[in-house]
Amino acid sequence: MPELIKLENVTAGYDNGIVLRDVSLTVSNNDFIGVIGPNGGGKTTLIKLVLGLIKPISGTITRFDNQEGNFIGYLPQQSHIDRKFPITVRDIVLSGLMSAGKPLNRYSSKNKTQAFGLLEQMGIPHLANRTAGELSGGQLQRVFICRALISTPKLLILDEPNTFVDNRFEHEMYELLQEFNKRMAILIISHDVGTISYFVKTIACVNTYLHYHPSNIITEEQLAGYNCPLQIITHGDVPHTVLQKHDHGHDSEHNHSHQHPHTHE
Amino acid sequence: MAMILNTTTLTNTLILTNSMAGILSFDFVIHAVIAAFLASITCGFIGAYIVARRMVFISGGITHASFGGIGLGYFLGINPILGAAIFSILSAFGIRLVSKQTDIREDSAIGILWSFGMAVGIIFIYLTPGYAPNLMSYLFGSILTVTIADLSMMGILAAITIAVFLFFYRTILFISFDEEYARSHNAPVETFNYLMLTLVALVIVINIRVAGIILVISYLTIPQSTANLFVNDLKKIIFLSVLISFSGSCIGLLISYYWNIPSGATIIFVFVLIFMIARAIAYLRSSKQRNGSIAER
Repeated sequence: MPELIKLENVTAGYDNGIVLRDVSLTVSNNDFIGVIGPNGGGKTTLIKLVLGLIKPISGTITRFDNQEGNFIGYLPQQSHIDRKFPITVRDIVLSGLMSAGKPLNRYSSKNKTQAFGLLEQMGIPHLANRTAGELSGGQLQRVFICRALISTPKLLILDEPNTFVDNRFEHEMYELLQEFNKRMAILIISHDVGTISYFVKTIACVNTYLHYHPSNIITEEQLAGYNCPLQIITHGDVPHTVLQKHDHGHDSEHNHSHQHPHTHE
Repeated sequence: MAMILNTTTLTNTLILTNSMAGILSFDFVIHAVIAAFLASITCGFIGAYIVARRMVFISGGITHASFGGIGLGYFLGINPILGAAIFSILSAFGIRLVSKQTDIREDSAIGILWSFGMAVGIIFIYLTPGYAPNLMSYLFGSILTVTIADLSMMGILAAITIAVFLFFYRTILFISFDEEYARSHNAPVETFNYLMLTLVALVIVINIRVAGIILVISYLTIPQSTANLFVNDLKKIIFLSVLISFSGSCIGLLISYYWNIPSGATIIFVFVLIFMIARAIAYLRSSKQRNGSIAER
């Protein structure tokens, strides 16, 4: 399968220390990788490396990027957005087309039709002329998905996409992602391991080091060897891949972070 | 300065004896109206950007820091506006660099440069032998004494501002809305941030002649906040605030003639009055809508 991006022995961090050590990961066409791990474990840093927002301290990152336009579609966390910023939904979606080589941003009517088509696909064409501040968290999330998709990327990256989303749309979103996955690779960061393990094909556990699990089922034995402390939430109607919380070495006791009466014992 | 006050009083007395049509026969009145128009354009565009990006405080810092340049201009015998332009651009870049590269927080950096600029200005003016003419006009503005040279500078800046927005509107909009996302698309984020910061600094300095250091921030924020009560798209905020700004300036000018009060302060007073009326209208409209929707149920 053609490779899209390859990280080899990458170490990265900021002024105040190393966040990721010796990380290797290859993303190929049609991959659907769930990135899990504790807060501060380096999930967001991994995404920033893939996006080219930060440079690694050592190691190499290769992008097999030979297509025109934007190779990666990105759905950031909503927390850094100024919800009162005066911008229309249509302009937010079109902003997915901006690129370095095109400072004169004139959008063709084809682009505008494309933006409207995506909003229709997400079921929110009536919001096109609204502004960011008038939308609910779930609606804004759909708008951001449109922005990420408008450049027809080869790789879609989602950072905690379920944070501001209502339950109904969350389920719908995962189904949409599986549909998108036929056309593009997907990298999704989430706390909600129980749900994503049901949708993703493979799992990358990030906690300073990266452990790649070539399936969406992780057994307790595997986890024990990886030092992956996980926060597990399982849902009643989802086939259960119950993962356990692991404390790093100092404590051999296995704590179940989320007790689920039907799956344990 | 005493002389200026005398001529202003004299001209005001003259105006009071004339009709509306008579007012426009004075060259300086025509100049003032053109100045108000050009100030409304530059401040309408740049102010909308400042308000959207929440850069009001940094703009206040740039404005006051430029007083150091005015003092330096007097001391060296060069045009004070030239000195102010250098000081405002340097302080704008300084605030950004200091807050990005060091652990000093941005609002603290603004506070430091704000007062430092004022202090430098006061020291240089004190050291300048003789009497500093027009000093008060830099502090409070004097739209009635703008010269052809001032007007042409304002005109050039208005043309540059319009050109920048015409060519780069969407880039400016997208970078302002989500800087990190723009970076992930390799958009020239830093280049544009510095370009816009330069434009902000220049617009502030040029409009000091009209509104003065103490009042220029009003041209950059009040019409924009008023426009934002009714429209929510950056493009529309720009157009509406140019309109509000120009009509407010004209009303303010008229009142200041007839009541013989300072024009700069009167214009700001009118701006705030318009804002309050607009706020009341917006409130009534929304409460009517709310009542309407309750009645429907």
